[in-house]
Amino acid sequence: MKRNDGLLTKKFDKLLIANRGEIAMRILRAAHELGIDTVAVYSDADRYAPHVRYAKEAYYIGPSPARESYLVIEKILDVAQKAGAQAIHPGYGFLAERAEFAQACVDHDIVFVGPPAEAIRTMGDKQMARQTVTAAGVPVVPGTPAGTDEELIAAGSEMGFPLLVKATAGGGGKGMRPVYEAAALPDAIAAARREAAAAFGDGTVYLEKMIVEGRHIEIQLMADSHGNAIYLGERECSLQRRHQKLIEEAPSFAVDEDLRRRMGEVAVAAAKAVNYVNAGTIEFLMDKDKKFYFLEMNTRLQVEHPVTELVTGVDIVQEMLRVARGRKLRIRQEDVKMQGWAIECRINAEDPYNNYLPSTGLVTTSRAPTGPGVRVDTGVFRGYEVTPYYDSMISKLICYGETRAEAILRMRRALAEYRVMGVKTNIPFHQHMMDSHRFLSGRFDTKFVEREFSMSDREATDELEAAILATLVAHRQGQQASQIVSPGTRDASNWKYLGRWERLRR
Amino acid sequence: MKYITTVNEKEFEIVIDQDDAILVNGERFAIDFQALPDGGVASLLLNNHSFEAVVEEREETWEVLVRGELYPVTVQDERAYRLAKARGGETAVSGDAVIKSPMPGIIIAAPVAEGEPLQKGDKVIILESMKMENELRAPRDGVVARVAVKPGDSVEKGQVLAVIAAPVVEGD
Repeated sequence: MKRNDGLLTKKFDKLLIANRGEIAMRILRAAHELGIDTVAVYSDADRYAPHVRYAKEAYYIGPSPARESYLVIEKILDVAQKAGAQAIHPGYGFLAERAEFAQACVDHDIVFVGPPAEAIRTMGDKQMARQTVTAAGVPVVPGTPAGTDEELIAAGSEMGFPLLVKATAGGGGKGMRPVYEAAALPDAIAAARREAAAAFGDGTVYLEKMIVEGRHIEIQLMADSHGNAIYLGERECSLQRRHQKLIEEAPSFAVDEDLRRRMGEVAVAAAKAVNYVNAGTIEFLMDKDKKFYFLEMNTRLQVEHPVTELVTGVDIVQEMLRVARGRKLRIRQEDVKMQGWAIECRINAEDPYNNYLPSTGLVTTSRAPTGPGVRVDTGVFRGYEVTPYYDSMISKLICYGETRAEAILRMRRALAEYRVMGVKTNIPFHQHMMDSHRFLSGRFDTKFVEREFSMSDREATDELEAAILATLVAHRQGQQASQIVSPGTRDASNWKYLGRWERLRR
Repeated sequence: MKYITTVNEKEFEIVIDQDDAILVNGERFAIDFQALPDGGVASLLLNNHSFEAVVEEREETWEVLVRGELYPVTVQDERAYRLAKARGGETAVSGDAVIKSPMPGIIIAAPVAEGEPLQKGDKVIILESMKMENELRAPRDGVVARVAVKPGDSVEKGQVLAVIAAPVVEGD
């Protein structure tokens, strides 16, 4: 079926995944479970990546920088045609929210596993999105239209501080700057424009009132091409640093049954306003009086979708593929029940003891925790190189429990079992958070990590053991070296002995 | 063999003379230590308390990962320790803090001038990498001795970006 807003649905049995890393793995697993063949694409940096090794077919698409490979629409479409893939799943990031890509797929008679191009276009422009959902009766955060530097500076003083400078094309915190006083506004506008222009090729910005002590809560939506739309409950995403989410939970500590229904119904109304189809997320800001405001719609699969999967039992990625094949949703709103609690920690290659600086390099050890209630979505392995070409996420560690307390205890256990070396990781940050009283009691907002949370009060508990372990390893290494060089005790020369010893060690 | 092992500026004197026991600061611990064939995985039973760790050698130190936390550890035998102590005085005098690029990227801004006094935590360099603007901050109080880059420069991992000298003490 083809709709004139750029939606194409039809049955397919071969899917191209226009992405890499953990999300490419997630999608190809769902496809294989449904009996759909998969086609991977890869850049120079990713020849060894698991999504290449696990896919049915894989095609090279160019150099490591994404703009020369994963972001090149023509290359992706070429591979789809060459491989005979009738559908493309974009994952998140890269081409996932590019309306022209969704449209190009449909123009080539390829199913885009996502919403119609028109819905991406509307929701991708923050100004247009605000107007559209306002018309549908959805509350939005007070703000200004886009404008010149002078217009925005004037409007900012009128609106009052604190406020946010936001890019109309923005997302994930890029092209966004908080401003607490009039004097800082011009610099913030310049920085936001610069970052937005670099990231999205569009430096248009506007201003929005900052909701202080706000929580970031989002609703997962699922809609089919037959007019059915449901919400799969909320996710609590308030634990962020510089607008990058670090920990997500489902459900939210701050949402009860009644609030969930009201937020869900508003989210469904926003989706229907753009004839939305497939998986999507409405992000809300909630103030301390539990009033909620539309922030934006993400017209794609979210990084943090697993927490919703664990508490609702719905396989969101499989459901996306079914909807793209033109099928009806298998569940009705009244069938959606949230059970238990799920928490996701994003394990990133960054140093929590040094201002969270990204850490690049070769991963020399990678062993993920396992056991009951633990899920790890990753594309990283021993020998993987964390490069500046792609994001710094190593994995998503997701733990499930009957209650929030059980999920937290399980997360502590799993974090302690995780072994990553070669790059610094934020595992100690997550451990410290899981021990924090504020986190345990659910009293946090979107500024908690930046303003009130510190790693400096974390005590190193295993220094003695670390000292002993390193000393024992060093001692053993020294002894082996001295065995090699002590002369006269062997019939062969030391060089021969060294060669034999090294061969034995392999 | 006697070693002086340093973790987070704490020193431990560790004596290894037998296979099943060690002395740490004079205290005896029964040990069973096994290195697994899998990478740097090591198993230590310390008075029968079990610790699993990954121990990997870096340029001048060891990195030990225990229960999620990464410990940089320096292991020196007595001779190396005394030599380092003797040298220690010199490095403390110069004491410049060098800000190196933690990753390849592009310099967005260097909002400091040479000769400018700084406080620990002040912004020194803004580096764009991994699609994010990263702020590199002064690791301690001091004076900007050198800014080696300008906005627009591409930098490699480990490249020196700026040098912060010790603060000038009034009346000195």
